[in-house]
Amino acid sequence: MSPTIELSELEIQLGGRTILHGLTGVLKSRAIGLLGPNGAGKSTLINTLLGFHSPSKGSARVLGLDSHANGKELRSLVGYMPENDAFISKMSGVRFVRYMAEISGLPPDQAMERAHEAFVYVGLGEARYRPVGTYSLGMKQLAKLAQAIAHGPKLLILDEPTNGMDPPARKRLIELIREIREASDICLLLSSHLLRDVEETCDEVLILRNGQIASICNLVEERRANRKFLELETIGAEATFTSTLESLGCECAVFSNGRIKVVMPDSVEIREVFKVAAERGVQIRRMNHRRDSLEDIFLNAMEQTGAADARI
Amino acid sequence: MPVYKRRYNPYSGTVTPQWSRFFVLTRYAFAELFKSRFFVILLILSLVPILFFAGYIFVANNKTVQVLMQLRSAGLFSVENKYFIMILFAQTQAAFLLNCWVGPVLISGDLTNGALPLFLSRPFSRADYVLGKLAVLGLLLSAVTWVPCLFLFSLQSGLAGNGWIWSHLWMIVPIVLCSVIWILMLSLISLAVSAWVKLRIVATGVIFISFFIPAGLGEMFNAIMGTYWGRLLNFSDMFRLILVRGFRDQTGPLDFVGGDEIPAPAAWGALILVCLLSLVILNARLRARETVRG
Repeated sequence: MSPTIELSELEIQLGGRTILHGLTGVLKSRAIGLLGPNGAGKSTLINTLLGFHSPSKGSARVLGLDSHANGKELRSLVGYMPENDAFISKMSGVRFVRYMAEISGLPPDQAMERAHEAFVYVGLGEARYRPVGTYSLGMKQLAKLAQAIAHGPKLLILDEPTNGMDPPARKRLIELIREIREASDICLLLSSHLLRDVEETCDEVLILRNGQIASICNLVEERRANRKFLELETIGAEATFTSTLESLGCECAVFSNGRIKVVMPDSVEIREVFKVAAERGVQIRRMNHRRDSLEDIFLNAMEQTGAADARI
Repeated sequence: MPVYKRRYNPYSGTVTPQWSRFFVLTRYAFAELFKSRFFVILLILSLVPILFFAGYIFVANNKTVQVLMQLRSAGLFSVENKYFIMILFAQTQAAFLLNCWVGPVLISGDLTNGALPLFLSRPFSRADYVLGKLAVLGLLLSAVTWVPCLFLFSLQSGLAGNGWIWSHLWMIVPIVLCSVIWILMLSLISLAVSAWVKLRIVATGVIFISFFIPAGLGEMFNAIMGTYWGRLLNFSDMFRLILVRGFRDQTGPLDFVGGDEIPAPAAWGALILVCLLSLVILNARLRARETVRG
C-alpha cells in the first residue's frame, strides 16, 4: 500500500518568499496530525497537497498520486474542510451540501440522499433547511464537515476543524472524526493548533516550524514508548535506592525533599520500584506516572529546531 | 443508508462524467435566478419586443391584413437585412440590461463567503468554474438574442415563401456570430466585475462604467490625436459596426465618426481583446488561496 503522504524535497515559493523549505518525509498512518505554530506552513502544505500551489522544487504525493501532476484525480479522492468560512450563505444547509456533492460527481438523486445523511450524521438534522448564513459558528463548522464527507472521500483534510467551538461541540466533533476514521478505511489529515485534538484523533504527527519539518512522530509507537516517567516523593531514600533502580536500567534524578524523577525502560514495571523501596525501607508518599505526551514531543521538537536555527 | 442509522458510510455509487460537471453550477444558478420575481419580469419584458417583431413580419407577409388595416405603403413592409439588424440591435440592448442584473452576483456570492476553495478542492478546475458561470449568461442572453432572431427568420421564411429563405440564408451567420461576440463580451465583463465587486448595485454601476469610460477615453484620444481610431474603445459602436458589415448593409453610413473607415476586423479585434482582458482579470482573481506578496 502506498503511503498516505510522501514529501520529497518539497519547496514552495509564494509571492517571492520560500514558505516550505525542502520538506522530505513519509507518513504512512491513516490518521495524520499536522502541528506547528502560526506561520509554520501548515495551511500552505495542505494547499499544496490539494494542488492549489505548484512546487518550485521537489514533489508531494498523496495516496500515491502526485499532487500537482494528478491534481484532478487526487481531488476526486479528497474531502476538504477549510479553516476559514466557506459556504454559500443564502442556500439551505442541505442544498449547499448537495450542491458540493454534485460538483464532486454524485448524480443529483444520490447527492440529495447523501446530503441528508451527512447532515443528520454531523448532528445538524434539525437545521438542514435553514440558510447556512444563519448558522452559528459551531454549526458552520459542522456544515463544512458535512460537505467534506458527503461524497465519500478516501482522504479527509481538516484544517483547524474545532476553531471557534465551545467544549461540548468540540468534544462532539472530535468524536465524529474518530467515528469516521473507525467506520471506514478513510485516511485523515488534521491540522490544528490544539494538541489535544491531534492527540485524540491521530496516529502520526508531522510538526512544522518555519516551513521545515521539526519532527515526524508516530504516536502509536510513542504511546508504546520505551520511556516511562515517574515522579516520586519519598521519605528515607538514600543513594542506594537510586543506584538499585539504576542497576535495573532506570535513569534517576534526585531533587530536594526526597523528590526523585525516574525514567523507566519498558522492561521495568512499577511493581519493581515498590519492591526496591520496600527492600530499602523507603516510603513512597506520592507517585505520578506519566508518559511522554504530545505536548512534550511538540515542545521538544520546537526546542530542537529552535536551537538548530540559533546555531545557523 | 437510512437516516436513523447515524454512522459514516463511504460512497460507492456511480459518478457523473467529468465534462458535464460545470453544468451543475449553471443549473443551481438558474434555480436561484428564477426565485427572483424581478428577474422573471425582466426576462419576459426582454422577450416582449419579439412579439411585436413577429407581428410585423406577419402583417408584412399578409396582404389581407394590410388591406384591412388600410396600410398601403409598399416600402413600409420589407423584411430584409436592415430589419434583422434592428431586431438584433434591440435585443442585444435588452441582453445588456439582463446581464447587468444577473451578472454581478454570479461570482461575488461565492467569493463573499469564501466558497471558492470548496469548488476548487474537488475535481473541478477554475476553467470549469468559469465555464459553468459563463453558461448561465450564455444561455440566458442567447434566449433573448439570436434564438428569437432565428425564430423570426424562420417565421419570415415560412410566410414569405418563394425561395426567400435561400436568398437570405447567409443572414444566419451574422445573426449567430454577432450575437455570440456580444454575449461573450458582456458575460466576461460582468463575471470579471463580479469577481472583484461584491455589492450588486456597485457591480452594476461598474459594468455601465466599463462601457462609458473607455468610450470617453476614446473620444479624448480622437480629439487630441485627430484620428478616429479611438472609436475602437466604444464597444457599443464597434458592435453596431460589425452588425452592419455582417449584414452587408451598404445603403447608409454608420452615424458615428470613423464608422465607414474602421475596418470590421479591427472592430472584431477590439471586442475579442475586451474578452481576453476580462479573462486575465478573472484568472487573477479566481484563486483557491490568495498569495500575499512581500
